[in-house]
Amino acid sequence: MFRPLTGFALAAALLAGAGLSLAQTVPPNTEEEVDKLIAVLKSDAPHKEKVDACRGLAVVGTKDAVPALAALLSDEKLSHMARYALEPIPDPSVDQALRNAAGKLKGRLLVGVVGSLGVRRDAAAVPLLLPMLKEPDADVARTAARSLGKIASPEAAKALSEALATAPEAVRPAVGNGCLACAETLLAEGKRSEAAAMYERVGKADLPKHFRVAAAQGLILARQPAEKE
Amino acid sequence: MAEHTSAPEVRVSAKRETLPIRIAGQASVTRRQFLKRAAAAGGLLAAPCLVPGSALGLEDKAAPSERIVLGGIGIGGRGSGVLNWMMGEKDVQFVAVCDPQKSRREKVKQMVDKRYGNQNCAVYRDTPEFLTTRPDIDAMLITTGDRWHALMSIMAMRAGKDVYSEKPSCMTIAEGRTVVETAKRFGRIYQTGTQRLSEAKFIFANELLRTGRLGEVHTVRAHIAPWQSAEMRHDWLPEAPLPPKDEVDWDAWLGPCPWRPYNPSYCKGGWRGFYDFHTSCIGEWGAHTFAQCHVAIDATDTSPVEYGYVDNPTGDGMVTRFAGGIKMILSRGDKWWHGSCGVRYEGTEGWVAVADGYSKPEVSKPELLEGFEETVREYVERTGRATSHVRNLFDSIKSRRPTVANPEVMYRSMTTVHAANICMWLKRDLKYDPVKEEFVGDAEANRLRSRGQREPWIM
Repeated sequence: MFRPLTGFALAAALLAGAGLSLAQTVPPNTEEEVDKLIAVLKSDAPHKEKVDACRGLAVVGTKDAVPALAALLSDEKLSHMARYALEPIPDPSVDQALRNAAGKLKGRLLVGVVGSLGVRRDAAAVPLLLPMLKEPDADVARTAARSLGKIASPEAAKALSEALATAPEAVRPAVGNGCLACAETLLAEGKRSEAAAMYERVGKADLPKHFRVAAAQGLILARQPAEKE
Repeated sequence: MAEHTSAPEVRVSAKRETLPIRIAGQASVTRRQFLKRAAAAGGLLAAPCLVPGSALGLEDKAAPSERIVLGGIGIGGRGSGVLNWMMGEKDVQFVAVCDPQKSRREKVKQMVDKRYGNQNCAVYRDTPEFLTTRPDIDAMLITTGDRWHALMSIMAMRAGKDVYSEKPSCMTIAEGRTVVETAKRFGRIYQTGTQRLSEAKFIFANELLRTGRLGEVHTVRAHIAPWQSAEMRHDWLPEAPLPPKDEVDWDAWLGPCPWRPYNPSYCKGGWRGFYDFHTSCIGEWGAHTFAQCHVAIDATDTSPVEYGYVDNPTGDGMVTRFAGGIKMILSRGDKWWHGSCGVRYEGTEGWVAVADGYSKPEVSKPELLEGFEETVREYVERTGRATSHVRNLFDSIKSRRPTVANPEVMYRSMTTVHAANICMWLKRDLKYDPVKEEFVGDAEANRLRSRGQREPWIM
């Protein structure tokens, strides 16, 4: 499906304008194809062509595509599609690029990058994300809390746990959700007492009732003796 | 059986004593235990909100202690049908609707107010506001376009709501997994709109398998929709002037999907067939029929491990195979049944086929139909599940027992939908490990398990 979008400048020009379905008949992935898609991003090609180049790179992109995509993270019209392409690329340079962008962006674009760091479970991003829990922009703070929950490192768990008491009301449920995600990870790793402590903190926090339900459920499991395999 | 996976084998060769009535599905004992305990805790702590009937003009309805307060998000034509069905239940009160399109939310308000004889149905444009300011609402009816089903369900469950979600209920494998995790985390009741799992004739067909009357089952066939293809569109419709935000909140309509210029056609059902918004002809009906097959062969915690590419535009004839050897074959058209959303199960002792429009299934020999009513009645008694999908939902909301179309059923059957689509898109055979939840040795296929979501609509 995305192969059609590779070799894309031509395919998009032929098919998108005509309102036709993109035939999914394209040659196999090659370095040359990736280079062509990168070239589209760097060119003055129309917006739609760049969008479709990002789609193609989401499937076939390599670390070679990261600089060109990273350059789009601050582009209001293409930032999302840059993340769309970057998130699945299995190369650590993606994480570095997202971290770099997170240090520079604000508002909605920052929300997107922070979300992508969570999707990638980038533990190295935790120091960057921790102060965002106190961001006045509630969307940023909420997304940071959810991403920290996905990363679920000890530092992330500690910060989320502390934020339960300090986060403003609009952010606290996201912090609670992050805490529950961390507790689930701790439980899965067999760290029952740490998980129980986290569930207890959530249960005592000033959160809506369903968080107390979730915490109670978790506590029941965390306090069970480990079953033999 | 495929050797590349650690997936548990799926076999249907002997009478099973019980159908799985669990969310479960995870290989880990801890997760099963979690669910068991969660259900118990949820039953104590997550009971529906109680609202006096006098406050709702419902003196003739169920007592407050029995009443479920319902809200809705993205209710259009299909959703209105489901809503009318739900409002027919005496223990349900619909109180508010949210939609980024003014004409749709106003239409729902008119319908609801007319039904209740008052002007009380509240309307909202903004979903986060709706979810955070209505703690009185117990459950959400989510009948948006496909692009929003999973994310809305996740947002609603994080806000403490139980959920009914129209199908197909996730756009990617990753979305489906997050629905499962969120429902578990918050002990929420969830039901996907696979109504046939609650219809007597389909239940009877499943019971024929469970009770061993078809012998050893080797093949199940699942209907895919006769319109559109597995390949989908990536083009943009011509840009039209953007209406005022209160009329159509285009940013919210698009939600997590890539931005594209506004065109009113998308908002009138024209989103179907576009990759960003739809799950193809395979998802359109496969969301129903794959779920039926999964449940029939007791494969509610797994997915096929092999997908064979077929060189046609639709996926017709694709053979998928579960660990253990049972084949599930995708079929377009009426070759194996007569009607929509058909399934057919074939065993060493006979076959059964059923589709919409049947009063009873077709069978290979008349004696297989013996005891139809008794079999269905026994199913209801054994499982506690009604032969009405909405009743099953509302009973589950009260009992805190998983619905017949619980998150795991949705997730695993939709994983099969997505894997079949990916197989068609990549034009090659695929192998899938349902324990690791990843394709085997195919990096490109694995990249298609998720899609980067547009800010701020990130799971």
